[in-house]
Amino acid sequence: MTRRWLPVAVAAAALAAVPWLGSETLVQYGINAILLATLAQGWNIIGGFTGYPSFGNSVFYGLGTYGTAIAMAQYHLPFGVGLAVGAVLGAACAVVFGLPILRLRGPYFAIATLGLSAVMSAIIANVEIAGKNIGLILPLFRGDLLFYELSLGLLVLATATVAWVSRSRFGAGLVAIRENEDAAQVMGIDTTRWKVMALTLSAVFSALAGGIHAYWITFIDPASAFDSTLNVKMVIMTVFGGPGTVLGPVVGAFLLSAISEVLASNVSTVAGAFYGLVIVLAVVFIPRGLMDVSSGFRRMGWRYFADNVRRHRL
Amino acid sequence: MFEVRDLTKRFRGLTALSSISFELREGEILGLIGPNGAGKTTLVSLISGTLVPSGGEIHFQGRRIDKLPPHRRAHLGIGRTFQVMKPFPALSVLDNVAIGALFGAAGGERNRARARERAREWLEFTGLGRYVDQRADALGGPDRKRLELAKALALHPRLLLLDEVMAGLHPVEVDEVVALIQKIRSQGMTILVIEHVMRAIRNLSDRLLVLHHGQQIAEGSPRQVLEDPRVVEAYLGKRRV
Repeated sequence: MTRRWLPVAVAAAALAAVPWLGSETLVQYGINAILLATLAQGWNIIGGFTGYPSFGNSVFYGLGTYGTAIAMAQYHLPFGVGLAVGAVLGAACAVVFGLPILRLRGPYFAIATLGLSAVMSAIIANVEIAGKNIGLILPLFRGDLLFYELSLGLLVLATATVAWVSRSRFGAGLVAIRENEDAAQVMGIDTTRWKVMALTLSAVFSALAGGIHAYWITFIDPASAFDSTLNVKMVIMTVFGGPGTVLGPVVGAFLLSAISEVLASNVSTVAGAFYGLVIVLAVVFIPRGLMDVSSGFRRMGWRYFADNVRRHRL
Repeated sequence: MFEVRDLTKRFRGLTALSSISFELREGEILGLIGPNGAGKTTLVSLISGTLVPSGGEIHFQGRRIDKLPPHRRAHLGIGRTFQVMKPFPALSVLDNVAIGALFGAAGGERNRARARERAREWLEFTGLGRYVDQRADALGGPDRKRLELAKALALHPRLLLLDEVMAGLHPVEVDEVVALIQKIRSQGMTILVIEHVMRAIRNLSDRLLVLHHGQQIAEGSPRQVLEDPRVVEAYLGKRRV
């Protein structure tokens, strides 16, 4: 146990030291990458462990940004209170909409959550206190160091939570739901309750990430807060790294952020195409994510990739 | 310990089960037989809670359960297997069964390590001891049937509903499963078993209940029931004189 987590702790410490060693640009890039990793880790709970492909996490993210922004810009409350307001909004939304939507399975669930994201952005764009479709400006605070360390702290918390989930009775129930919900039910799992809890936990991390991002970027509007491509990123990063694993989403998020950054600065015009190619290749050759590669490769060598292609073809 | 009263299930226009009533005594094995489409699996699904009845009542240990969700019935001690097997494919055989121990009757064993220990015992009991670490989807057909059984047992049911656990097994395997079910009964469980393998069901059951087109057409000792002209007719068609 201790030995297994030692490399992770070292990596986290190294990341924490980045602002003192790296450049300003690196820190800003780091904040983005870390928040994306946090979002992916949050998505992992509902998408990776429970098997419900949520497109509602960008809604929770958006509510997190707006909760924080409204508290700070309209009521002049401190940042910590803003974060809490955002998290509560996100969690409440997960419970209220999760109860009906989590009855749907597979693609139907995905479509319903996608609808939720469209609805929520339209609602916010008409709410006076949320600045309608113009948006809100938060008090300016220059402190990339603080935002960086705060984001990293949140990522560590999210990862620790997922590590707990993966070993707990709760997590066993979620995985059973993913693997076969009918069987899970008759074996005594209160599937509705566990699913709502998973979505809520997922929502809290999305909302907190949104809150930090809002204060860092100091300006939010409905289009950027409820951006469903952000949700697509969470899915891709988690699936690339290894859905339902503890470290997969983090590794996936960091790697893909790095790849897209390198591509954007070197081959800017065709960066999107390369990025797409990486994802297509990953889905074809390592459909269970990077975390599965080492054990799979040890087991069957190069045949592992061929086996994946054969096994997962349509 | 268990009673069904006037249980009816309609799917839109189709009446899958009409007014089924029977009782189960503690420790009894009741065989449920009937031609394909008679409503046997529907009955099991109504009892386990995966389907909601259109009418009638289900009582278990003095308590009405037909309004309870499936997981609550599992907590009370009703376990079932599925005819179309439903393993947790990507989990190890051990973890498949541990789920039953973690969540089953009376809330289950809350500690994952202890749940695995209990699962291991059930795997030994059902003859799957050598496969603990294998993924469930790597098991062959007969072993999947055993896994289905082990999963249901691990939740520590007092009433066990077995939906065709012997289908597709060859005669030697059928005998093994029959012996296994007898062993389960000797531990004090009450069992409702759906089966098409006549030899097995005759040897196992204390009583038989026959369904045909959703109607209960006969009930009684195996010998009595299997000689009943209505049952013979349901299976073989009308005798032409």
